This record gives sequence, C-alpha cells and structure tokens, in this order.
Amino acid sequence: MGTFLVGKYIPEGEVMDIPPIDAELALAEMRARREQVVETNLVPDWFWRAMGGMMLAFVAAVESEIRWLITVGTVVFTIVMAAMLFALFRKTRLQVRQDLLGLRGFVAIVAFSVGLTAVGIGLGLTLDALSVPFPGALALLPVCLGLAFGGPMLMAYLRKVMLSRPLASSR
Amino acid sequence: MSPEPRFDELIHAPTRLSLVSLLAASEWADFRFLRDSLTMSDSALSKQLTTLEEAGYVEIRKSFVAKRPRTSVKLSPQGHQAFAGHVAALQEIVARSGLAVLPDQVS
Repeated sequence: MGTFLVGKYIPEGEVMDIPPIDAELALAEMRARREQVVETNLVPDWFWRAMGGMMLAFVAAVESEIRWLITVGTVVFTIVMAAMLFALFRKTRLQVRQDLLGLRGFVAIVAFSVGLTAVGIGLGLTLDALSVPFPGALALLPVCLGLAFGGPMLMAYLRKVMLSRPLASSR
Repeated sequence: MSPEPRFDELIHAPTRLSLVSLLAASEWADFRFLRDSLTMSDSALSKQLTTLEEAGYVEIRKSFVAKRPRTSVKLSPQGHQAFAGHVAALQEIVARSGLAVLPDQVS
C-alpha cells in the first residue's frame, strides 16, 4: 500500500526518505514552538507579587478605619489593579490550546484558588472571633504570601503539565 | 487513538513547519505574534498563510479591536489532523532509525 503526497504517488517505505536526523530536528522545532506558545501564556511572576501586595495594602487601609486612608486606598487599589490587568491582557496575542492544560492543570488551578480562599476566610473568622485587631489584614498575610510565592510555582507546574502533553491534537 | 502517520510536504517546509507548530499549540494566534515569532515580513507571512488557507489547514479571521484591525489565525480541524499525521510520520522515521526520541504520543 502506498500514499499520495502533493499529487505524487509514493510507494510504501519511500515516504520515509527524509533522513532521521532531519525528522528529529523537525520534532525538536515543534517542541520548541510549543514551549514558546506556553511561555507566552503564563502569568508573569511580577503580577502575583504585585497582586498580593496590593490586596494586603488595601485591606490594611480598610481596617485602619481612617476615612481618608480608606478612600485613598480604594482609589489606588482600583487604579493599580486595572492598570495591572490592562498590562497583562494588552499583550495577549494568542490563546494556548485548551487540552494542553487538561484535567490536571484545571484541578491545580482550582485547588490553588480554593486553598488560598479557605485559608483567608478561615483565619479571618477565627481571628475576628478571638477579637484580634486587624483580623482581615492578618488573615490576608498568608494568602498574599501564597499568591507571591505560590503563583509562580503554580505557573511552573502548569508549564510542566502543558509541555508533557502530546505535540498534536487529533481533533 | 493514534493518527495514521502521514508525511505532509506542505507542513514540512521549514517556515511552515514553525508556523503550523505555533498554531498547533494554540487555540488562535494573532498575526503580529506569528510575524514577530518567526521574524518574517507581513507579506512573507501572508503568503505562507494563504498557502495554508488554500489547503484548508488554517482559518483567518479579521476583526477590529478598539478601531484597530486585528487578524487572528487558527489551525482548522483538517490542519490539526494533518499536523498529527505529520508528527506521527516523523516519529516513525526516528523510531525506525533507532535515534533517541522523546516519547510523544498523539492524543
């Protein structure tokens, strides 16, 4: 049995005429290009650290109960967060193939989000019940550390997951 | 299910191999991203995309974002299938030769 390539009949076996090293180089190029796509889509480290810092500053300002500080904190938080999101999405020039993320990637994202939320709420309520001052800011501290250090770790994990997938999707 | 190995000369041309590889990992990609990634001129990239579009391998969409024209490109289902077959063919070549190759099955 043979095959047709661009109108030319090629008997079985002759399809494999290209040198194996060229085939390997082509596969390496495919892997490098996929890595480029994955890298382009990951949330940069600065975003996680800036988001953690901004959240902590905002909650501290609110809990200070100083009116002008709350106002300034709210305005600064809103503007900086909007600017950060704009900076992040302005350069979005592609969307990575969804099946590269897969169930493992999805579960990791959900676990990360739910975990940090649970820690923040649980700790905040506990500190509030114990009448500890600034319960929100104190509860947010581990959450912000989780964002600042866990965010880049999550990205590294997602990168690993996506690069472990097959090169092609047969959809 | 593994796709049938099918060497595709259209995809295997060096520039198109890089282009299709980028698109195969993406849901869609912006024209400028492809141009910058491949360090090509607008006209050279357009020519390659037209070739792939005529073969039914890519879909090109033009839209306006904030009054600016934006061209996005995606690999069609036929393009994905051709790419999967080409990957399988290359892997078969490497495997037959006994060269070390990273395990990579097509889903």
